[in-house]
Amino acid sequence: MGEFAISVIKVRDTLLVTVPAEPDDSTVSALQERVLSAMERHDPKRVVLDISAVETLDSFFARTVSETARMVTLMGGRTIIVGMRPAVAITATQIGVTLGGIETALTVERALD
Amino acid sequence: MSAHDGEVPITVEGDIVAVRRLLREVAQEVGFGITDVTRVVTAASELARNAYKYGGGGVMRWRMLESNGRRGIELKFIDQGPGIADVSRALEQGYTTGKGLGLGLPAAKRLMDELDIESAAGAGTTVTSKKWCPK
Repeated sequence: MGEFAISVIKVRDTLLVTVPAEPDDSTVSALQERVLSAMERHDPKRVVLDISAVETLDSFFARTVSETARMVTLMGGRTIIVGMRPAVAITATQIGVTLGGIETALTVERALD
Repeated sequence: MSAHDGEVPITVEGDIVAVRRLLREVAQEVGFGITDVTRVVTAASELARNAYKYGGGGVMRWRMLESNGRRGIELKFIDQGPGIADVSRALEQGYTTGKGLGLGLPAAKRLMDELDIESAAGAGTTVTSKKWCPK
């Protein structure tokens, strides 16, 4: 992990989670646990998941994010995905990724509005 | 990069990312645009994970293709794992259904131009796929 780790920061009532460019599977799995324990500790209204650095969104990543968002909802929060790259959006749609129930925004500023 | 083919072992989990990083460079070198580069890398990620998680590890062999003035890339994922008993069923599985074997296969098949699987129960698996640069 190290510099390739996911960062989780509380910004007012928002949990800002920033994903690095090419996270390995362990890092992606850890995202779920880290988000949920941060939710418990800080009780934010929403989780902003910044994937603007992410270059590959495969089915494993998509599934982990979907599950995490469902759990965030169960814990009373909203999930907003930010910064999906066009090439990633095209590819994800092509393989049938549906981020049902998750909002998206183009920038972190928009998401924090 | 001057190589036209190569091999990457898939023996530890970190090798899945290594496959993605390498193929991103190779695909750019072949001349794919950013979206197709992303398709190749995403397909490779799915297939590398399958080889690692269900195949017990294996190897990825890649080579650049050239035919009738068109360039392309071929990826071969080989493992000596338990094999796939019903290949056509594994390809049919919806992306979101169930756990386990073959979740990444339908995804890889959609992203690449060609995808072939040689496998049988107890006999390992070889997945060969190709993508060509548009004319």
